Amino acid sequence: MPLIKVPVEWLREYVDIDVPVSELARLLHMSGTEVDKIERVGDSWEHIWVGRIAALERHPDADKLFLATVEYGAGRTTTVVTGATNLTVGAVVPYAETGARVRDGHGDGTAVMTLEPRKMRGIRSEGMVLSAKELGLGADHEGILLLDPALPIGAPLGDVLGESILHIELQPNRPDCMGVLGIAREVAAITGATIREPATDPLRSGGLGDALTVRIDDPAACPRFAAALLTGLRTGPSPEWMQRRLVAAGMRPIDVIVDVTNYVMLELGQPLHGYDADRLAGRTLVARQAAPGERLRTLDGVERTLPPGTLVIADLRQALGIAGILGGEESEIRPDTTTVALECASFEGRGIGRSAVALGLSLQSAASRRFALTLSPELVPQALARAVRLLREHAGAVVTGAVDVHPSPRPAIPVRLPVADIARILGTEITTEEAEDALRRLGFAVTLSGDVIAAVAPPLRTDIAIPEDLVEEIARIVGYDRIPTRIPDGPLPIHERHPLLELRERVRDLLVGVGLTETVSYSLIDPAWLAQLTADGTAITPAPLRVQNPTSIAQSAPRPTLRASLLDTARHNLRHEPGIAIFEIAPAYLPRRGDLPEERWTAAVLLAGKAETASWRGPDRAYELSDAAAILDATGRALRLPRPTRTAGAPGLHPGRSETRTIGERTLGVWGQLDPRVAERWDLPAESFVIELDLAALLDHAGRRTASAPPRYPVAIRDLAIVVEEARVYDDVQEAILDAGKGLVTSVTLLDLYRGPQVGDGHKSFAVRLVFRSPEATLTDADVERSLKRITGKLLHQLGATIR
Amino acid sequence: MSDPDLTALQRDALAEIGAADAAAIETLRLRYLGRKDGLLTGRLKGLAALSPAERPAVGAAINAAKDAIEAAIASRLADLRARTNDDLGSERLDLSLPPRPIRLGRLHPITATMREVSRIFATMGFETVEGPEVEWDHYNFEALNIPKGHPARDKFNTLWISNPLGDLAERPMLLRTHTSPMQVRVMESRKPPIRVIVPGRCYRFEATDAYHESVFFQFEGLAIDEHLTMADLKGVLYAFARAAFGGERRVRFRPDYFPFTEPSAEIAIDCFSCNGTGCRTCGGSGWLEMGGSGMVHPNVLRNAGYDPSRYQGFAFGCGIERVHMLRSGTPDIRLYEQNDLRFLETT
Repeated sequence: MPLIKVPVEWLREYVDIDVPVSELARLLHMSGTEVDKIERVGDSWEHIWVGRIAALERHPDADKLFLATVEYGAGRTTTVVTGATNLTVGAVVPYAETGARVRDGHGDGTAVMTLEPRKMRGIRSEGMVLSAKELGLGADHEGILLLDPALPIGAPLGDVLGESILHIELQPNRPDCMGVLGIAREVAAITGATIREPATDPLRSGGLGDALTVRIDDPAACPRFAAALLTGLRTGPSPEWMQRRLVAAGMRPIDVIVDVTNYVMLELGQPLHGYDADRLAGRTLVARQAAPGERLRTLDGVERTLPPGTLVIADLRQALGIAGILGGEESEIRPDTTTVALECASFEGRGIGRSAVALGLSLQSAASRRFALTLSPELVPQALARAVRLLREHAGAVVTGAVDVHPSPRPAIPVRLPVADIARILGTEITTEEAEDALRRLGFAVTLSGDVIAAVAPPLRTDIAIPEDLVEEIARIVGYDRIPTRIPDGPLPIHERHPLLELRERVRDLLVGVGLTETVSYSLIDPAWLAQLTADGTAITPAPLRVQNPTSIAQSAPRPTLRASLLDTARHNLRHEPGIAIFEIAPAYLPRRGDLPEERWTAAVLLAGKAETASWRGPDRAYELSDAAAILDATGRALRLPRPTRTAGAPGLHPGRSETRTIGERTLGVWGQLDPRVAERWDLPAESFVIELDLAALLDHAGRRTASAPPRYPVAIRDLAIVVEEARVYDDVQEAILDAGKGLVTSVTLLDLYRGPQVGDGHKSFAVRLVFRSPEATLTDADVERSLKRITGKLLHQLGATIR
Repeated sequence: MSDPDLTALQRDALAEIGAADAAAIETLRLRYLGRKDGLLTGRLKGLAALSPAERPAVGAAINAAKDAIEAAIASRLADLRARTNDDLGSERLDLSLPPRPIRLGRLHPITATMREVSRIFATMGFETVEGPEVEWDHYNFEALNIPKGHPARDKFNTLWISNPLGDLAERPMLLRTHTSPMQVRVMESRKPPIRVIVPGRCYRFEATDAYHESVFFQFEGLAIDEHLTMADLKGVLYAFARAAFGGERRVRFRPDYFPFTEPSAEIAIDCFSCNGTGCRTCGGSGWLEMGGSGMVHPNVLRNAGYDPSRYQGFAFGCGIERVHMLRSGTPDIRLYEQNDLRFLETT
């Protein structure tokens, strides 16, 4: 938001301030004018004193140098060598002794150096006498800054010339505060002081004849357009006090005409613009929309085509400038300009903002930032009259005449606030008198009829439209501290359940519980990453959304998968960690036609590197497939998921060591070893393992969370050795057992996996332990044997297994 | 009864048992009492050869010997188990040997903080809800009283989205710049009274530094009812600040500006480092800004289909990272999404 610098010394011109600057800043801050910081000019002026030139002579060995003897109090004198020509004996000047930090007078004025004694053409110089530029007080480096002769010699310069500058962060609803006077009005409202308005030369329309015509073709975009025609202008520097204020407020002095327009802008908030009146075709200024394809060479030297809808200021021949944003070269004031048309207009801020965007120009200039906030049209006559006054006083301007076009002045509409609404909104009583007083201090015209306050905002306040606005004004003047604290009572809202969020948090806790570290990574990724997730570069997801104006390519696509983020996090951490076990739970963004994307909440796990490092207990152990399987298994048990369908393979994972799990039509997720070719590309160990689960799919199939008493009947245990062909997977065996076990088999444990001569080539043997239990009765041996028979029969019949 | 053999057998057995260690006792038990060929078992089997008249007395004698031997075995085993402190003291192990480390799982500090925030507000009746991160301009701006061209849009440096399946010219899509769009979505889908807290990720086109991220987390609060006032807002935020940052913290409420609240307020807490006197942490002000808040603007209520003359309420928003940074002293917001495990392990 706009930042303005307000020198307290300047503020004092309009309002008496009888509190310390820090308290002033606090008062402003607490009433809504955000004081970012207090800059204290002169704080850095250590070792700089008010000095007096006691003697002055030419350098014996250099024509252009002088030796100045400087007194700086308490009998201290010293000799400095200087090239300045504006010194005289008795002149009072800033003197910086060795150790002082001053600005470099020859550069752009920002570099700071610490003074050391030095020899100039053989004569030792102790310190320096300083220019305004070297003190950071202005651009002037032509000569030494001559101080008021009445200043006490030997005083620290900071004590007599230092000042405080408030850095104020303005809110976009307060264009009236874009000038020092606006801030002064706030100060007056808070402290109860009165405002001293700056002196103006009030203008009356007329006296121009054919010398200048002003016309508004687009009154919505330009509600008011005034101008004054001035002759007799002398150019040259502006007065020293004006330059100092400009510098303190952050602007560079240029010459008196430019300085006055800038000064008025800083003072009142209203920018002005001067034209060479003799070069205006038809001696006319028009505010109009740019013609299709119209071109303009702007002050920055760029030839621009003006987009439709751009408001321009033009003469009868051509556009002269982009209204409120950037002037053109053609009509600029030049050294030979004798007659100036001084424009002062108000523009509709949204149009200014839109045009700046369309032209690719940021609203960086002090003027365009102000216009974009929609300044009040009421500011126009005051600003023009003020500028004319200052140009008359300091540049010899003579007013030929003035014109003020304001086709439809906005009527001042009172906002009506029922007194009861103050307490209804703030939760505390503010008396009617207090409320009225607060509004009056802010310049509102207040009338009370019955229980309703009718308040007309001061002309420059464009932000007051509804009763709530008045309540805020009242509250900020009486102080937000008056609002008490209370915990809401009344009926409690209905609490809805959020099953997906609940499940998501359970999964988070579960994964933390099995020892994984949660990561939260950028949800915007480099789209190039997506082509690095498979060996051949084919995508594992649909094309992602794109950020139209990314901060960088690295953050230009809302990620359609979490995998790349995890691989990236893993790669960085494996530079210093022996192994990592991480997970992330976040949405993947999947585009939908004509709608917001699906935000698919996904849990993604990655294991890579060492699960355990070598120690006295044993050697290293790397993460292996079964570690990932264990996490998946624990998740399934915790969520009471039914047994899924397994399909070998998943995009981007090892073709022989991964699977896709589904239940019915719904894909729960994928897991397995990362394709080692992909792992290599991401600098990860070949054996890296991934799990990705779609949380909404898990939710669809998660079992209900119920409770039951422990089983009452004992278990029976039997072991079996089952020989199958190598191609059979264990899950086939387990599934056959559970299926044939019909609810009597409560668990199957794989005790041993054997390959070797006892089972023959191309075969393997699973030794399993079966636990039988009936929920209804103690199983007899005969019951168990019957069940076992069914099981072995099924294994034989369905899988071609033999029992050893 | 007098079977000298049996008496001797019992005497020998008792003597041997009295001297045996735990392993030898099992051998002795088998030798005397073993099912197959224990010496006493043999004698019991021999009873069958005796006349019916002799059997009771001989049987009783054998059983008595068996009982005596069993008792001796039990007693000897008990003696062997009963060990003194000195005995146990000699079984010393080095407890300082490093154990097998258990990998500790850990929530990310952002998750932990979001949960903490939700928990605190839950105690005041706020329900946690979430909303889409990719949003329509309508919910992010228009419905929040920030029409196109509004100067406040500059505050929210927006990342705009383009859809590979086609953009809708009349419905611009964006990455939400704040969690506030959910104010309108929640109001549209519910009836008052409403009290919700909305944590989630937000996005801004922003240069990153130690205090700014282009991708960050916020939480939004919204309460709507017929009689809620700024005092309720202040109370809820004070209660939150104290629960989150400690009961001794002071809270400051000052006027601020947001297009979607009126009146608006900034909330700050006094600086932890200096207790409000001013230091580097707080930039000398003594206060740490926590977030923005205010009474929901009548236009926003209207945009959500509510009658502002009947319903009013408040909203607030605050950065999740900010809460964690203040609580933990984390020096740089960028650490959160860099996911260096050496940082995460310290949180």
